[in-house]
Amino acid sequence: MNFKRLSSILAIIIALLLIVGCSSQTPETPATEVPNETPSEANAESQEFDPNADFDTLVEQAKGSTVTFYGWGGDEDRNRWLNETVAPILKEKYDISLDVVGMNIDEILAKLSGEKQAGLEEGSIDIIWINGENFYSTKENDLLFGPFTDKLPNTKKYIDVNDKEVLYDFGYPIENYEAPYGKAQMVFINDSGVTDETPKNTDELLEYAKKYEGKVTYPALPDFTGSAFVRTLIYDIVGYEQFMDMQPDKAVVKEAIEPALEYLRELNKYLWNQGKTFPATSGEVDNMFQDGELVMTMSYEPYSVAKGIEKGIYNNSVRTFLFDKGTVGNTNYMAIAKNAPNKAGSMVAINEIISAEVQASQFEELRTLPVVSYDKLSSEEKARFDRVDLGQGVLPQDELLSKRLPEMPANLVPIIEEIWAEEVVGK
Amino acid sequence: MNKKTPYILIMPIVLLGVLFIYGLVNGIIQSFGYIPALDLGNFTLDYYIEILKDPTFIDSLKVSLKISIISSILAMVLGTILTTALVYTGHTEGKTLQIIKLAILIPHTIVALFSISLLSQNGLIARLFYNLGFISAQGDFPLLLYTENSLGIILGYLWKEVPFVAYFSLALMNSINKTLGEASENLGASRLKSFFYITLPLSMPAISKAFLIILTFSFGAYDLPFLLGATMPKALPVQAHLEYMHPDLRYRPYAMAMNGLILAVSWTMTGIYYLVKKKKGIKGDVHERY
Amino acid sequence: MSMKDTNSNIPLKLFLYLIAFTILAPLVILVLWTFTSRWPWPNLFPTSFSLRALEEVFAPYANLLPTLVSSILLSLTVALLSAIVGTMTARALVFYDFFGKGLIKLLTMAPNIVPGTVFAMGIHVVFIRMSLADTLVGVIIVHLIYTLPYSINIMRDLTSSIGQQMELQAYVLGASPLKSFIYITLPLLAPGVLASMNMAYITSFSQYFLTLLIGGGKIRTLSTLMVPFIAKGDRSIGSAYALIFVLSTLTIFIVMDRVIKRLSFRNKEENL
Repeated sequence: MNFKRLSSILAIIIALLLIVGCSSQTPETPATEVPNETPSEANAESQEFDPNADFDTLVEQAKGSTVTFYGWGGDEDRNRWLNETVAPILKEKYDISLDVVGMNIDEILAKLSGEKQAGLEEGSIDIIWINGENFYSTKENDLLFGPFTDKLPNTKKYIDVNDKEVLYDFGYPIENYEAPYGKAQMVFINDSGVTDETPKNTDELLEYAKKYEGKVTYPALPDFTGSAFVRTLIYDIVGYEQFMDMQPDKAVVKEAIEPALEYLRELNKYLWNQGKTFPATSGEVDNMFQDGELVMTMSYEPYSVAKGIEKGIYNNSVRTFLFDKGTVGNTNYMAIAKNAPNKAGSMVAINEIISAEVQASQFEELRTLPVVSYDKLSSEEKARFDRVDLGQGVLPQDELLSKRLPEMPANLVPIIEEIWAEEVVGK
Repeated sequence: MNKKTPYILIMPIVLLGVLFIYGLVNGIIQSFGYIPALDLGNFTLDYYIEILKDPTFIDSLKVSLKISIISSILAMVLGTILTTALVYTGHTEGKTLQIIKLAILIPHTIVALFSISLLSQNGLIARLFYNLGFISAQGDFPLLLYTENSLGIILGYLWKEVPFVAYFSLALMNSINKTLGEASENLGASRLKSFFYITLPLSMPAISKAFLIILTFSFGAYDLPFLLGATMPKALPVQAHLEYMHPDLRYRPYAMAMNGLILAVSWTMTGIYYLVKKKKGIKGDVHERY
Repeated sequence: MSMKDTNSNIPLKLFLYLIAFTILAPLVILVLWTFTSRWPWPNLFPTSFSLRALEEVFAPYANLLPTLVSSILLSLTVALLSAIVGTMTARALVFYDFFGKGLIKLLTMAPNIVPGTVFAMGIHVVFIRMSLADTLVGVIIVHLIYTLPYSINIMRDLTSSIGQQMELQAYVLGASPLKSFIYITLPLLAPGVLASMNMAYITSFSQYFLTLLIGGGKIRTLSTLMVPFIAKGDRSIGSAYALIFVLSTLTIFIVMDRVIKRLSFRNKEENL
């Protein structure tokens, strides 16, 4: 009995390994078929896919297909919204199934570049949630499909195509290779029950740090939030204009930000552990703030305070504030992989996500700043956006947008992170 | 028995081994700047040279070596005591063993969560001290995490590795104790003597193998040093991971070269291990005895 | 154990309890954080509780249960294969001399000594060409490669300590080699098989990067679901997932323990 079972298991594994072994002898044959959940019918159709086709044709082609949406999986609210709000809309309107896959952008990049290296013509990623340096890198390396956003009816209907953030992503021309998804902006957060002050500029921030010595810090760069925080401080000290066309040269950048580096070194003296060390992630900084170890935190999500209060992780007295000169803001986008198996479906899905309806639900449920142009909305749509209850401790949308500074060109960001590590930490 | 038998037995490992080496070579090639898909087509040592020239590299190397050597030696000693405790108190199965396994099955990221909750200046131990009046503020509690002394990382590794060493060597020590240890006791040797002269030496292959595994693992893993380490200098794997996350794909060879250097150090450690083992000769190597 | 034994073992027992406490104490934190919304300084206990983490984790969109089941099946498969290959390789290494033995010995340690990223990125390209990327078989193979050093080493030590005498005797007495292996040696190897399956299961179950890259996001495991929340610093949801991780693994271990014990007992009985 056992004997038979064991020998059959052995037979199976050996067979399995033999198959693997045999196919490993012909590794140069490009994979012709990759298993994925898209029905074969849709595969056949995608071969006739023509991005310039009439949008109705795309809708017809996308019918019954699956669109796979890759993006960071650590935001439970967004996961819920995509699965419970966006997916049913796509199913009902277009008979498209949305498959949301959680994956960090660096793994997405690794996957795409590996697939390119192996010559895989049809991968498994359709839509990618992306922006900034990652967009720059994927577009430069020919990993994205496009241009496509100019072919979407809702681009014309809802998006201001002359908006800087629709034309440029971290200073890099988008050229219709990605569609806006949501807007983010750096905000500062503290608890009015603990500290009265809301520093309006870097000088006041320094005074604040002095007063609450050892209770202010920020995430170590290259953490996304920490990096944006430092850029905001740099803008406050040396202005943002000069960076917009700066050469990505370390010496040039260093000279430009020298006054800010001096400020950061001065600030170090009063930071948590004298700025000798910094928490590795923005999550850790936020946890320290929640526990009362810090008197201030920061977020790239402008409405995170409202969500935090609703979830019970922040006190009701926690509030959002900005610098008078403003804080950096960016848009995040949706792109389509060059080897996407379902490009027609992706275009239809993206078109729907930039509609007033989906953008409004995103604003309601996630409180992500919408990307649709307010002027282009009908009065009913305007009313829906106006009605959104933003929650406690946050700033109204127009105040945020009036103090919104453009992000630096993508290729300057790693240079600043490098300089910070050399010139600021422990100095 | 049949001459073919060993070749049948090793067939699966050979096939998997070929795959492994093939994958490894494919990865290492990238560290020499060869990634045609990204228009990088020249073999070059430049990436290695650039990293070796960077003064922070030596600092990172020191941090990593310190963490891995200290934590592995301590884990080996404490782990061996734990194995002994398990064997001689008759806890080689059942609930106690399940508790030991708990530590092994918990991923490093969760261990980081534990460390922060317990050891940080805001952690439970600091809070306990505060409530007992030993300290008057968070800053008074010694900094165990995020500092150059890497104490928090070492403690985190110990928490996982002491049980690992025990678990890894338990089966062998138990079977030796059952067959040879108890026999020698029956022949009149004292317990202590039979342990130090028979059971422990014969268990050494498993213990020293466990040591090598945790040594190379703690040298190459980035989770704990990333979450609990100092901002500067960073452990080598953390540096490699950050290079890997660099969004510019054409930066990839740097990450791979740094991983290549981690590989070189790990292989050197392994080489030293086998040299030492060879020098010690037959002593303690149970395989050669049978 | 006699009274005398217990007395001489007191220091060892104390050490054992100390270790057990050190392992169990932090787990209380996991349980607490799962239900905590705020736990500010200097409180020793949380100040407010909520069910948010459990609600999020068990919400239908998170797909926890299907993911958990497929994740367990995946790791069980890897564990079983790993124990089998481990036993085979160990026998070859202990009892036979063959061409390339040194190389195989070296190979059994190698995956431990190779940074995961290098191997993952290299094998990814290979697997795409072999149509194994984004497939379950592909993920099983890479997990297997990373679990084998444990299985082979555990089985090798045990195989050599048990020796071949008894099995040879049975063979001489007329049993087939495979039969004498299964009825004589395998029951003796059972603790090792259990240990290697446990180690392999853990190694497979906690793989994150390899699973994500080789599985391409299509193969979802509890780790790929959990890690983003821990990385983000959400202590409640992270702890809830971690708790599920720990409890499910412990359950599997207990089941494995029982099954293997029963199998090896039955073998012994049949043998008698």
